Amino acid sequence: MTDRRILDHPILGEQKSQKEISFTFNQKEYKGLQGEPIAAALLANGVRTLRYHEESGTPRGIYCNIGHCFECRVIINGKQGQRACLTPLEEGMVIESPAPLPTPVRDWRYENA
Amino acid sequence: MQKNNMIICRCEEVTYADLKKTKEKYNCTARELKLRTRAGMGYCGGRTCRSAVDKIASSLEKQKEKDIIPLKYQPPVRPVSFADLGGEHK
Amino acid sequence: MHNGIIIGAGPAGLTAAVTCAENGLDVIVLDEYMRAGGRLLGQLYEQPDGKWWNGIKESERLFQQAVDLGVQFRFGTAVSNIEYLDDMWVIYTEKEVLQTSNLLLATGAAESPVPVPGWTLPGVMSVGAAQVMTNVHRVKPGERGVIIGINVLSAAIAMELQLAGVEVASLTLPRMSEVTDVEAHPKEVMDSLLHVSHMAPSPFVKLGSKFMKGDFMKKMGAAFYPKNGVKMWDIPIQLRKAVIEIYGENQVEGVTLATINSKGDVVPGTEENIAADFVCIAGGLYPLAELAAIAGCPFYLVEELGGYVPLHSEEMETTLDGLYVAGNITGIEGAKVAAAQGHVAGLSIARNNGIRSLDYKIMDAIQHVKTTRDHAYIQFHPQIQKGRSKIQDQWNTYQRNVQEV
Ligand SMILES: Cc1cc2nc3c(=O)[nH]c(=O)nc-3n(C[C@H](O)[C@H](O)[C@H](O)COP(=O)(O)OP(=O)(O)OC[C@H]3O[C@@H](n4cnc5c(N)ncnc54)[C@H](O)[C@@H]3O)c2cc1C
Ligand code: FES
Ligand code: FES
Repeated sequence: MTDRRILDHPILGEQKSQKEISFTFNQKEYKGLQGEPIAAALLANGVRTLRYHEESGTPRGIYCNIGHCFECRVIINGKQGQRACLTPLEEGMVIESPAPLPTPVRDWRYENA
Repeated sequence: MQKNNMIICRCEEVTYADLKKTKEKYNCTARELKLRTRAGMGYCGGRTCRSAVDKIASSLEKQKEKDIIPLKYQPPVRPVSFADLGGEHK
Repeated sequence: MHNGIIIGAGPAGLTAAVTCAENGLDVIVLDEYMRAGGRLLGQLYEQPDGKWWNGIKESERLFQQAVDLGVQFRFGTAVSNIEYLDDMWVIYTEKEVLQTSNLLLATGAAESPVPVPGWTLPGVMSVGAAQVMTNVHRVKPGERGVIIGINVLSAAIAMELQLAGVEVASLTLPRMSEVTDVEAHPKEVMDSLLHVSHMAPSPFVKLGSKFMKGDFMKKMGAAFYPKNGVKMWDIPIQLRKAVIEIYGENQVEGVTLATINSKGDVVPGTEENIAADFVCIAGGLYPLAELAAIAGCPFYLVEELGGYVPLHSEEMETTLDGLYVAGNITGIEGAKVAAAQGHVAGLSIARNNGIRSLDYKIMDAIQHVKTTRDHAYIQFHPQIQKGRSKIQDQWNTYQRNVQEV
């Protein structure tokens, strides 16, 4: 969807045109702009949830957008733990949310200690 | 209620109540509190939650922080994958 | 082998690289981000002379200057560890191991959190995240947002969002708790708001800053602050409200606001829901100094500089051989100050590489940092000078102790 993009800006002017390319996220096909961060491309498509917390399964999206928090980590072309906020999008990228861990481990917490 | 369920450390999903109850149960230092709850020991290396965890730890401790400290950070400051360590790239 | 390695391609690192290259050094800049500029990229505001400070343009200009001088860049390169081995700094990245005798840490700042119930929901992001999404990537963080935390940065970014056509439903406070302290206290916030008043066309805030110099007046200001807030750039600023919770099924759907009294306590029964599809958390900035910590630098807690800073001199050296720092890692200030510090660091590195007659240039460059600070448009802490002299005093003491040993 284009209306999530700021094509024209009163001070910054028009957005420089970039090549539109295709990629997949969790097996679904999307379009994005070449070289923009994966997180921006997904947000422009209305996708906020990038992964689910390994133990609790709660949905997570970008938090810091500059590489500090690692909330946006996804699997890119099979490589784990890549930050969607600072990885440039390329044609044909296969992006996936990491699967939650099979067994939730919480027993080190006070309630079970 | 909401305050108790509030997550302080996002990576490890440690809540305010987790920190408070652990503190009460073990009467531990700030450092031990982190080790026991894993607050600040998650994937981001505490970059996101550290200041909040420290504030709670010191407010629970009721003790003034000293102004010079050796900042405790452990390498790596960015997670390293096993493939990277082996120099292999998938 | 390089004469120098710089970690961080923000205004500090870029300026240092340019300075090194101008002095004939062969330097390389490493940054985990995909392009040059660091946090300068997102900046956009109107300066007193009416000209816009466009962070993207400034970044491109500095980057081009460095490239033209032959500086090498590695983007997408995160540094995970550094150590000092056999008189050399060894730098570990995901892809390679580099070595140099002069290493500059220009890693900038990170945002402090303000935990709020519901803040892990997708759609909740730091205020800087929204700035970068909007100004750099040109994607709206959402249609309608609430900003939690009122400070210089969040006020500036609220305006930037507005400029890009994103509605800011409210700029408001977090609920007070052990984790929030000053950020949730209306009087303290009023205090810090006075420092953005020069950026605000709103007569209330402008007038307010004249009348509220005294502590007593500030308390009164918070007590009489209209319950529904005032508007700055058409954005409701609500010092008498606090966010109790962020709600939503799988992502943000809104926030629950409640009225707070002048001490910051919630008035029961005043809760109301406000619809929003994104929420920004604005907890302020702190120096990102993890690599200096690993290297073994001594640290000081200097409130005015934003937190723990590695001990350093005005010439931007640390206590460790061949290790330098510049920019926000030494304390939170604007981009122009960071660049000026980068220039000093670049000269110090050049001098350490045997380039001669730089002493006067270094003195001038240090003076330039001070003038830039005095004329800074955005000041993150009103007592910044005091913070700087605290570190300088510590450095002098440290030097004396070393000499005695
Ligand atoms: C979110 C945010 C918004 C800001 N907005 C404003 C504003 O509107 N106006 C203003 O005047 N100031 C603003 N600032 C303050 C800003 O920090 C300074 O203006 C200035 O950008 C600092 O410059 P620097 O060179 O010290 O660091 P930065 O500009 O932060 O650059 C540091 C660089 O180091 C890189 N880096 C960090 N760690 C590593 C690592 N381990 N490996 C590889 N690379 C690394 C980062 O990717 C980054 O590119 C903001 C700061 C933040 C955090
Ligand atoms: S959103 Fe924080 S690392 Fe990507
Ligand atoms: S948020 Fe606590 S370790 Fe990452």
